[in-house]
Amino acid sequence: MAEREVVFRVKRYRPERDAAPTYQDYRIPYTDDMVVLDGLNYIKDKMDSTLTFRWSCRMGICGSCGASVNGKLRLTCGTFIKDVRSKTVVVDPMPNFPILKDLVVDFDDFLQKLLEVKPFILRDEERPLSEGEYLQTPEEIEAYRQQSMCINCMLCYSACPVFGASEHFIGPAASALAYRYIRDSRDEGADARLDVLSTKTGIWECTFVGECSVVCPKDVDPAAAIQNLKVIASIRHMRQLLLPKSAPR
Amino acid sequence: MYPWKRPVGWWLRNPRYLLFQLREVGGFVSGLFALLLLYMLVQYHAGPEAYAGFFAMLASPLMLVVVAVLFGFVLVHAFTWFFLLGKAQPVRFTKKPLRPGTVFAINVVLWVLVSGAVLFIVFGGL
Repeated sequence: MAEREVVFRVKRYRPERDAAPTYQDYRIPYTDDMVVLDGLNYIKDKMDSTLTFRWSCRMGICGSCGASVNGKLRLTCGTFIKDVRSKTVVVDPMPNFPILKDLVVDFDDFLQKLLEVKPFILRDEERPLSEGEYLQTPEEIEAYRQQSMCINCMLCYSACPVFGASEHFIGPAASALAYRYIRDSRDEGADARLDVLSTKTGIWECTFVGECSVVCPKDVDPAAAIQNLKVIASIRHMRQLLLPKSAPR
Repeated sequence: MYPWKRPVGWWLRNPRYLLFQLREVGGFVSGLFALLLLYMLVQYHAGPEAYAGFFAMLASPLMLVVVAVLFGFVLVHAFTWFFLLGKAQPVRFTKKPLRPGTVFAINVVLWVLVSGAVLFIVFGGL
């Protein structure tokens, strides 16, 4: 396979010596089957072992290797260097997050938000194991299948200008995962989640830019999930208002 | 840890952010357009002279430009929301969700029909 050269312009930030992030250029050879992550690993292995970035599976499942590649939010393992169509591949850490080092950003805030929406099946009362599995029809699975594809890569948070302006916003992925469990026929925790979601810093802060769904590498469509949650929360609120005795609190 | 700071002009870096900003500004401008129409009703209530004076004011070159800009933003606001409706579709009338382009087209057709009906009722014809 023909080997060519490309310049990787990588954002560097070493907290022990840099006051602010700067770019560093690396000229590397590449072939048509190399992805941006391969380029970063080539630099790390052969040129500069201090370059720091996250990666794990190399197959678009772990969600670790998100970055901004020439201004576009991508998983670096799923972006071929040849498809960047530029002599310079500019790699920046994911926007909207504080930088820990080089391309590694701090996700602690998201992890806390994820916990708040309880991304697991909640039951008022667990059935004994002797009664068997909780069976679902294909239609019941289809109701939440799309949102269950989320790999927590955080590209949606990087694309969201609302989160960029207000770090308190619960954000796309946490909302999509909450919606995933609310739509699950086995789950009974909708009210507990809506208490967290239907707030000023929850789903109502979303102005439906829709970029979260555009950048999602798994087609989860968090923007649609949030709009659906707004309908569910509105119906719940109206029930509490009009039928206070029958509606859950 | 180096804190994130949103760059000035972030909304110019992505055409979809720019469209979003135009849509949001369009919401505010639609409000101004509604105020203009409300003022027209006030002048109508004030009598024929006031009403004629209002239209004379509208006919000035400056107001023509202002109204054209306002109307442009109203169109951007309406059309961008028509397109978003197809993406959200919390209420589904069919088993499979309609394609965003189809929902957009349905909304535009309905909008034209309702506008035509209003014009017909008010003016007795187009």
